[in-house]
Amino acid sequence: MYEPSAKSTVLENETLESAQYVTFVIGAEVYGVPVLKVQEIIGMTQITHVPNSLPYMKGVINLRGTVVPVVDMRIKFRMEERAYEVNTVILIVEVRGINIGMIVDAVSDVVEIPIKGIQDTPHFSAKIETDFISGIGNRDDQLVIILDVDRILSQDEVESIERK
Amino acid sequence: MIDATVREVFIQEAQEILKKLESDVVRLEERFDHDILHDVFRSFHTLKGSSGIVGMTDLSEFTHHLENMMASVRDGKTDPGRGMIDIILNSIDWIKLYLFGDSGAEALSDIRGKLERAIAEYGVAGPSEKGAPAAEAPAEDGVLYRYFKVAARFPHNVFEKGIDPLMIIEDLCALGTVVERAVNRDALPEFGAMDPEKCYLSWEVLLKTEKTRKDVDDVFLFVSEESEIAVADVTAECITLDGGALSRERRLGEIMVNKGIITDGQLLDAVHEQEERNVRLGDLVVQKGYATPDDVRIALTEQEKLKTRIETDTVRVDTAKLDRVMNLLGEIVIGQAAITRVADLLSEQHSYQLKSALYGLDRTTRELQEQIMSIRMIPIGPTFDQFRRFVRDTAHALGKEIVLEMSGEDTELDKTVIEKIGDPLKHMIRNAIDHGIEPAAERELAGKPRAGRIRLRAYHQEGNVFIEVVDDGRGLDYPRMREKAIMMGLVRADEEVGESRLASFLFLPGFSTAKSVGDLSGRGVGMDVVKTNIDALRGVVTVESRKNAGCTVRVKLPLTLAIIEGMLVRVGAQVYIIPLLSIVESLRPRVEDVKTVEGAGEVISVRGEYIAMVRMDRFFGIEADIANPWEALVVIVEASGSKIGLMVDDLLGQHQVVIKSMDGGVTASRAISGASILGDGKVALIIDTHGLAGELAS
Repeated sequence: MYEPSAKSTVLENETLESAQYVTFVIGAEVYGVPVLKVQEIIGMTQITHVPNSLPYMKGVINLRGTVVPVVDMRIKFRMEERAYEVNTVILIVEVRGINIGMIVDAVSDVVEIPIKGIQDTPHFSAKIETDFISGIGNRDDQLVIILDVDRILSQDEVESIERK
Repeated sequence: MIDATVREVFIQEAQEILKKLESDVVRLEERFDHDILHDVFRSFHTLKGSSGIVGMTDLSEFTHHLENMMASVRDGKTDPGRGMIDIILNSIDWIKLYLFGDSGAEALSDIRGKLERAIAEYGVAGPSEKGAPAAEAPAEDGVLYRYFKVAARFPHNVFEKGIDPLMIIEDLCALGTVVERAVNRDALPEFGAMDPEKCYLSWEVLLKTEKTRKDVDDVFLFVSEESEIAVADVTAECITLDGGALSRERRLGEIMVNKGIITDGQLLDAVHEQEERNVRLGDLVVQKGYATPDDVRIALTEQEKLKTRIETDTVRVDTAKLDRVMNLLGEIVIGQAAITRVADLLSEQHSYQLKSALYGLDRTTRELQEQIMSIRMIPIGPTFDQFRRFVRDTAHALGKEIVLEMSGEDTELDKTVIEKIGDPLKHMIRNAIDHGIEPAAERELAGKPRAGRIRLRAYHQEGNVFIEVVDDGRGLDYPRMREKAIMMGLVRADEEVGESRLASFLFLPGFSTAKSVGDLSGRGVGMDVVKTNIDALRGVVTVESRKNAGCTVRVKLPLTLAIIEGMLVRVGAQVYIIPLLSIVESLRPRVEDVKTVEGAGEVISVRGEYIAMVRMDRFFGIEADIANPWEALVVIVEASGSKIGLMVDDLLGQHQVVIKSMDGGVTASRAISGASILGDGKVALIIDTHGLAGELAS
């Protein structure tokens, strides 16, 4: 059995049997995305509103000279909107070759979760659609909802973005 | 197995060679010239060699035949003529088909067989004489050309005999190509002592010619008795230089002599001394007091210029890399702006010091930006050259005689613009040939030369690039166009329509005045395509016409697609950029000028013209500060032929902005064409007026 204390195994084993995730908080839940998908994490910055876009598309930001769209995860997850405050951050993730910013309440940690410990969750009764949840991990007795970033924006949404 | 990348490189190289070949061959048809013939020969030779290396033996063998044919023409064994040009052009087509086409091997070898027969009939080529009979083309230059060094000093009283030395020198130059020339001003007296009726100058010319020594001597037939004429055959010396062709890179000393900074004698003196002392010639000349340091610097820049002209097209860089550099530079600019803001917070003295340092940095970054932009710029010449063949073929197909003239080939444009300008230009040229230029007989009746003339011009003006296609044909048929416009319901039968408005109808789809739709063009689509393409390049196209004197189609293009001149406008907290090119004017309407049309929105009356007004805040779903148009500002833009007023809170000024693609397009709105990053790091959206008009209409 794998336990948090058994972390002294050799590196190869670790990379095979566990994966690193960036965890963040939206509302009361802790979410995680694979660390390799995350390009960087930036503080809240000025967002330019873009007309005629999807409701959760908050607009675009300047990421060192490139224009990157940002998505408000609260709206995407059909949660109550909340004013941005000092902890609010933007996670820049790569979704099928495009950089997209995810606005989350706070970022917490980079954690290692054993792959075996990740469970499929066909019926999950949170306020989010389940098709972009790739599983639920357990970390120090806390549930981490692992997101599949490629699916956060559903297929046709990304296509509509790519077509531009 | 041949490496795929090697093949890729070859294909790219071949593309360039073929382009050059086409242009060369058509020029060769216009005027037989040994230099061009050599170029053509060399191009085929390169193709042969390179295709052999990458294992395209078919192509290598084929070009070998061509090369043989060219060799026999060059050596005078076969006469050049129309037949040869056609064979070469057809062969080029075959090579293109072979390299880029997707036809089957059978079709290819069928055409190849025909062509090879034609070549064999034409010249003395044959597959049997493989090897490299003419591989060392440049080395054979010496057989064809001779170099003569001619020094001529005329007697003082040469003018009295009714002889103008200049005419003699010109006659001499007409014999061939002047490689070097120098004027010796040694004998020139002080200005006061000069007798204007006397000749003090003497000349030295290095001539490259096919003619014999006797021909050169003959030039001086009438003056030889009293003048000092020295003709020396220096072919051997010149040939050994640079393996054939005389190096065109001129030495500093010669440049200075040419510019009249120092004399031949002084140069000789300096050169001798240089051999002993091993110092730079420029320094030596200054030390000796022959020239000022400034003069030397001028000569040095001249030398640099000559060098660069020789060493152009060298590096291939992925444009994406340039874009990345440009992005990073943009960040530096934003960083600078941030530091400037910090400087404002400092004490006056520190703030001043920091700001003056930043000012210097700012200049450097600007320069850097310009330099990076200039990397993207390439001359339009090669694009123009492509049309030589097109004009020739089109003119032949229509049975017209046409002379193509070009100017401004070195005008530089952004690479993206160059890539996209080809198609519209082609349509414009085709129109000019088909509709503009009259048949030869008709032209003669009108008292014009038989051959029509089409001029391609490119030039810079006021930060824009202009490209013109000028023909000397019959001009636009305004009465017919008016009829057509009435027929299409564009104007009322009794309406007064100005010529410029009629001309603008040309760009509407389906507006054709051609009596019959020809093989090449019926005008219905062509100009429409031109307009769409030019619009996409953010350019403007206009037509000017004079009856029986011809027609000018003028395209005005921005220097680059990466930067636009934009007007920054504010709506609430948001800043938008409206391309300056589409702005007509901006104004604050009076209360009585704003009217609401039931169910259609608001209009404003501008000098009697009603213009639809768009409230940007409502259109974009944001909040504006000002609710009443008569307190806000209305920017009138031109879009798809009509005018629209955009209501904004404020104008923030005119700026050059770098266009960023919206890498994840985020919006379905056609009214947004892209984004840009402002000086403070904020993203501002760029408004596409055509898209906005389209969205309003739907």
